[in-house]
Amino acid sequence: MTPARGPSLEDLIGIEHSKLGFFQELRRTIEALKDANAQSSQRRREIAAILDGITDIMMVLASDLRILSVNHVFRQTFPHEPAPEGKFCYEIFRGEAAPCPGCPASQAFATGGICRETAIFKIGGKNIQFEMVASPIRRPDDPESLILVFKRDVTREKEYQAKFYQAEKMATIGMLATGVAHEVNNPLTAIFGFAEGLRRRLPALREKVDPRVMEDVEDYVMTILQECRRCQDIVTTLLTFSRHKTVSFSPVSLNAVVEDTLKLLRSHLKQRSQAKITVRTDLCDNLPKVNGDEHQIKQVMLNLLVNAMDAITGPGRIIITTFQSTPEAVCLSVEDSGCGVPAEHMDKLFEPFFTTKRSGKGIGIGLSTCMSIVQKHQGEISVKSEPGHGAIFTVKLPVNPDQAS
Amino acid sequence: MRISKFAIPEIIFGRGGIVHLASCAKRLGARRVLLVSDQGLVEAGWVDRIMEILRDNGLEWIFYDDVHSNPRDSQVHAGAEVYVRERCDVLIAVGGGSPMDAAKGIATIVGNGGRISDYEGANRIMRPLPPMIFLPTTAGSGSDISQFCIITDVARQVKMSIISRSLVPNVSIIDPLVLLTKSEQLIISSAIDAFAHAVESYLSLLSSPFTEHQALKAIRLISRNLRPALADRSIEALENLSIAATSAGMSFSNAGLGIGHSLAHSLGGMFDVLHGLVHPVLLPPVMRFNLPACVDKMANIGRIVCGPRMCSNEYIAQAGISWLEQFFADLGVPVRLRDILPERGCLETLAKTAVNDACTLTNPRPASWESLLGVCQEAW
Repeated sequence: MTPARGPSLEDLIGIEHSKLGFFQELRRTIEALKDANAQSSQRRREIAAILDGITDIMMVLASDLRILSVNHVFRQTFPHEPAPEGKFCYEIFRGEAAPCPGCPASQAFATGGICRETAIFKIGGKNIQFEMVASPIRRPDDPESLILVFKRDVTREKEYQAKFYQAEKMATIGMLATGVAHEVNNPLTAIFGFAEGLRRRLPALREKVDPRVMEDVEDYVMTILQECRRCQDIVTTLLTFSRHKTVSFSPVSLNAVVEDTLKLLRSHLKQRSQAKITVRTDLCDNLPKVNGDEHQIKQVMLNLLVNAMDAITGPGRIIITTFQSTPEAVCLSVEDSGCGVPAEHMDKLFEPFFTTKRSGKGIGIGLSTCMSIVQKHQGEISVKSEPGHGAIFTVKLPVNPDQAS
Repeated sequence: MRISKFAIPEIIFGRGGIVHLASCAKRLGARRVLLVSDQGLVEAGWVDRIMEILRDNGLEWIFYDDVHSNPRDSQVHAGAEVYVRERCDVLIAVGGGSPMDAAKGIATIVGNGGRISDYEGANRIMRPLPPMIFLPTTAGSGSDISQFCIITDVARQVKMSIISRSLVPNVSIIDPLVLLTKSEQLIISSAIDAFAHAVESYLSLLSSPFTEHQALKAIRLISRNLRPALADRSIEALENLSIAATSAGMSFSNAGLGIGHSLAHSLGGMFDVLHGLVHPVLLPPVMRFNLPACVDKMANIGRIVCGPRMCSNEYIAQAGISWLEQFFADLGVPVRLRDILPERGCLETLAKTAVNDACTLTNPRPASWESLLGVCQEAW
């Protein structure tokens, strides 16, 4: 057997053939590498463009929570940290020296799964709520895994969510209250009418009945009438409180707000006063009215009062004060002798969904609602507290917000 | 005149030249070499000497000595596997034609992949080969110079000729001192091998002024130095045999050979006879067959071996061939084909295989299988 074509004399001379060197081969390899490099850098640019399109803070952490790399959103959020790589994540986000409790990255490392968490961070003097997603990055050639952490700013969403919850709650309560008020109002009217009828017939009765019995009857009728009037007051208050009307500003007396709110909470307070809670009011006479939405200001008052009562376990006192702080502003303060606010919570009190109450007792939207209402009235809300010695919440509202602004 | 080409490797020649092996290897980028040799060389101690040189120069090596006297395709593939597996970077072959041809085959597979039979024929190697450094120890094969590589295809029972300029090694280091340890038998067979290269390439159709000169020089050196070399192992004579083998290599690598080698290749493929033992049998009848085509050149050979005489070219040419027959007979090597072959019946197959050999192309006189059979019968 021979090869398909036997060699010729020219083949043996091989003028056209030389000992092959690696230069051609090398040049081809270099070309191929250049192509591959161009392609991969193109792909890298595309991926970078996609990554740049992400509006969340993104960072890759090592297992000791050291930052390995960050995206441009991180750099925008921390303009004063030009080189975050190599620093610890808790150092930058919290200024702490140790990992934060409940850190999703640590959990993701421990479980090897994706971990989500929401937390409030104070960044650049502003509280920002972050929804965090920590997912492990598995690398086949390296047993030590890394964690990719996304932090999405959900501050605004949380505000809206809190408002929505509040509105829904108020609507439900309002509906219930209206229903109850209406149901109670009818029998009450009848009782009141007939009691009035009885009262009108008292002079006629007086001549026929034993004067001692008559005295009792008169006393009973007057008591029924008096209590009916109180019931009517409560019903009226309930009806006005729950009426779901659009925000309309009108002159509001803070003193009246205090009294109305107390009227609503009277029975609740009575229960608590058996546990030795005393409520004292110190209302300023001739307090100028403020321009505002009475319904909303009552909500603020109600929330502050409920919080004050929740803060007190066992005996205590609540002092409600109204006063004029400056010629342009009036104040409403609620002081309690409760547990007070720890310093580390001071910052976050007004953040939506921040709560220290046990679950089922509140979801943390009360004070944030107060804050948004007061801000809408161009006022301020402030708190002073010494842990263990109670707290004073003060709402300051402009006498005439139009002028003040 | 036909356009010719003359290509040879870098040649380092001289007594003790072996010490330059490591620096040559390093220049070619060696860190871990594949050292190809055969068991005979190990026994002579030269492999140890080379390993010592490599070790002293901080080079690693993998030793591969599974090489048959006529290297086989399977040995080439096994060697290539070792080269790749061990991440070698340079090939060093030490020995006669077999380890060097095996190294060429290994380099071909390492650089080009596939099976060695894919490259049978001329100029089929399309991709570069790893660097090769050859240390010939027999002063005969010329494989350290040539663009030829002969590998036995065991299944087909043929010796494949692979011809490519890429098979020319990068460096050939020829150290005459290496010949000092050779047996008489090996010195004779290598010298005859080189002599046959010189004669056939001198007569070849592709011979050029650059090759003819080398061929005649080799013929002269071997005819004058073989006997002294055998007599007292004189280093000068051995050195001259080395020069002759190298010159013969330069000649045949560029000019090609003739039907003597066609027949030798077929014989080797069929019977595994030692290459050097075939030529004393075949060369005189081959020369007689070719005589009509190149009387003047044969006369030149005659004048070299017999000494200058005042006579016709035909006469001196014939005298040269006769001198050659006597020369071989005096060496005590077999001179009839019947001495080395079992029986006559295979001659036709032999001739039919040989006629297709690449060497037949360059034979000065066109040869059919019938004429090759005639040569064989004359040699019987």
